[in-house]
Amino acid sequence: MNMIALTVNQRAVQVSAEPRTNLADFVRDKLDLTGTHLGCEHGVCGACTVLLDGVPARSCITYAVACEGAEVTTIEGLDEDDVTTELRAAFTREHALQCGYCTPGMLVSARDLVLRLPQADERLIRVGLTGNLCRCTGYVGIVRAVQSVIEARRARNIAPEPDGGRKILGPVGSGRSVHHGADRAERMPPLGSEQTSPEAASSVASIPDFIPATVLTQHFSVAHPPEQVFAMFDDIAAVAACLPGASLTAPPKPERVEGAIRVRIGPIAATFQGAARVEQSPADMSGRIVGIGNDRRSRSSTQGEIRYRLVPIEQGTRVDLSIGYTLTGMLAQVGRPGLVRDLAARLIAEFAGNLDRRLSGSSPGDDTAAELNGMALVFSLLRARVARWVGRFSSKNDEAT
Amino acid sequence: MKPAPFGYERPRDLQAALAVLGEAKTSAKIIAGGQSLGPMLNLRLVEPQLIVDISGLAELKQVERRGDELVLGACVTHADIEDGRIPDVTRGAMQGVAGNIAYRAVRNRGTVGGSLSHADPAADWVSALSALGARLTLRSLSGARMVAMEDFIVGALESALRDGEIVETIHVPAMPASAHWGYAKSCRKTGEFAHAIGAILIDPSAATARVVIGAIDSAPVVITNAAELFGGRIAGDYKDRFDARVADVLLAKAGVSNAAHRHIHVNVLKRAVSEAAA
Ligand SMILES: Cc1cc2nc3c(=O)[nH]c(=O)nc-3n(C[C@H](O)[C@H](O)[C@H](O)COP(=O)(O)OP(=O)(O)OC[C@H]3O[C@@H](n4cnc5c(N)ncnc54)[C@H](O)[C@@H]3O)c2cc1C
Ligand code: FES
Ligand code: FES
Repeated sequence: MNMIALTVNQRAVQVSAEPRTNLADFVRDKLDLTGTHLGCEHGVCGACTVLLDGVPARSCITYAVACEGAEVTTIEGLDEDDVTTELRAAFTREHALQCGYCTPGMLVSARDLVLRLPQADERLIRVGLTGNLCRCTGYVGIVRAVQSVIEARRARNIAPEPDGGRKILGPVGSGRSVHHGADRAERMPPLGSEQTSPEAASSVASIPDFIPATVLTQHFSVAHPPEQVFAMFDDIAAVAACLPGASLTAPPKPERVEGAIRVRIGPIAATFQGAARVEQSPADMSGRIVGIGNDRRSRSSTQGEIRYRLVPIEQGTRVDLSIGYTLTGMLAQVGRPGLVRDLAARLIAEFAGNLDRRLSGSSPGDDTAAELNGMALVFSLLRARVARWVGRFSSKNDEAT
Repeated sequence: MKPAPFGYERPRDLQAALAVLGEAKTSAKIIAGGQSLGPMLNLRLVEPQLIVDISGLAELKQVERRGDELVLGACVTHADIEDGRIPDVTRGAMQGVAGNIAYRAVRNRGTVGGSLSHADPAADWVSALSALGARLTLRSLSGARMVAMEDFIVGALESALRDGEIVETIHVPAMPASAHWGYAKSCRKTGEFAHAIGAILIDPSAATARVVIGAIDSAPVVITNAAELFGGRIAGDYKDRFDARVADVLLAKAGVSNAAHRHIHVNVLKRAVSEAAA
């Protein structure tokens, strides 16, 4: 717990809260100011918008502890505010609310537009309100209400303030905190180790066939003849050793390979644990790996299938890959096949390099033991399960391709 | 969702921040505006043990004109630029970009340094500052180094930052009076991350251009030797000479395999070129 001192609706408050408490929960749970609503909790919907040092900010992605010394104004603190009073009347007149869930955030953003916009331009108002979602009204009444207040105020010769009154640089809410030695927050103990637990791995009972939601194709070449590469692909432990971040949790058998793969994509780390099954067809030098796995942390699961075919080329072998996968859970919300393709390409390049080195008799690079660093995408060639994903947050969640 | 518990430190100055990051044995994460990290924490996609808040560091909220460039502290926000609270050396170019990032409530906290460090290929500053030829100062306990934008973004969500390093300043070259600027962003909804970005800084009188095709799924394509895009020669009639086929080939080479996506990117770039010529 940290003691947090700030001003809320012109009242000095000093309350202790965990560092992870966002400003919205802080005002709602600690101060009983429940007018601030939470919708998406990742910055997109605008329901949680409050004034921080006098200008709008998202209270869901602003932690209270980072607002030490700041001035917070919630909807409750705008009761006597001139602009908000005018807006409330206009919202009532224009039927600019229905259920009211979006309204506190809507009023805070609307107030900011009334102050800043030079005139009641419908397009600018609509653009200015895109960060506040309303599921009820269809926005027409809201836009009209804001328009009418701007018109009325400009008619009364109240000049716009394009900067909303802000004069200093840096994130709003930052900068008025005191720093002294005793201010050091406690450190949380390290989180539980993420080592693969054998039960978790074997908790994947069967490895079903499936129809992948997304299929990517890739290829790489190695300077060794197809027969040698094919034989190598039969050695599951050796292949796993070439795959950055991968580890086996049980002695592998072609019908069941258990293991885990740890990947890091930018700041996101995930460890998929699961099982895979390996099939090889010597007749046409092709093979298939089907896997299934889960990442406990993000509660995401994936099913993946890798089909490969070895094609002799002048300098050795070209490995043609078709990677199909389906991802569900939290990571699926943020994953985009395009980013995944970029990652797959990098992972494959690293895998191909290690494979080449191993085929030449040297051991793969040291990085194999470590987690795959870099944009990794996960897919487990010949071993554990598969997954690929990558992050994009916020408003791109709905992106399908 | 609520984040997993984390520890929090607010160092008193940059040196102290570097020390905390340098000594951190645990997984530590810098937070600036929190407008990209916050969503990830809330979704529990990242679970650092320690958050180091740099948003209060005065050193990172300074702006200074140094010779031919503007030196921006990493914690300057999008809104600071949108509102003109910093000197304008790009003849309005940065202001225009800033005003179309996300929403006002996000711009009031989101910082330029945070946006670049997050290295989302769809982020506006990633493309815009690459086109403007910006450089960054990265500082750690062992000293500072300077990196050009095109070397800083390594891939999707992957920057050249090493452990314990902070983006300290962003150096933006002043735009010559003879240069033209065009920036186009395509998204389905205002304030959304871009699906395609085209940016161009072109100086017909000097026959130079920097062209960026951004918001592809990896680091943006930065073309510093852009004559090829304009039929081999950069001159006053560059708009008419823009060769969409060359852009298409560049995109294919960068791994954009879907022809429809390439088409969108090429057309967004074309829009940026037209804007520059307007
Ligand atoms: C709803 C929504 C819509 C958005 N739309 C857009 C958009 O259209 N275009 C766009 O470009 N952006 C968009 N963003 C992102 C926004 O611009 C963020 O403000 C920005 O990407 C991150 O800046 P920040 O200061 O908030 O960084 P933070 O979230 O605090 O940090 C981001 C990352 O950078 C690291 N970091 C931060 N500062 C530094 C530093 N100085 N040195 C080293 N590492 C550092 C952190 O550790 C973290 O990994 C959107 C965000 C939201 C919530
Ligand atoms: S709850 Fe904060 S923006 Fe949706
Ligand atoms: S009034 Fe119901 S969400 Fe806007």
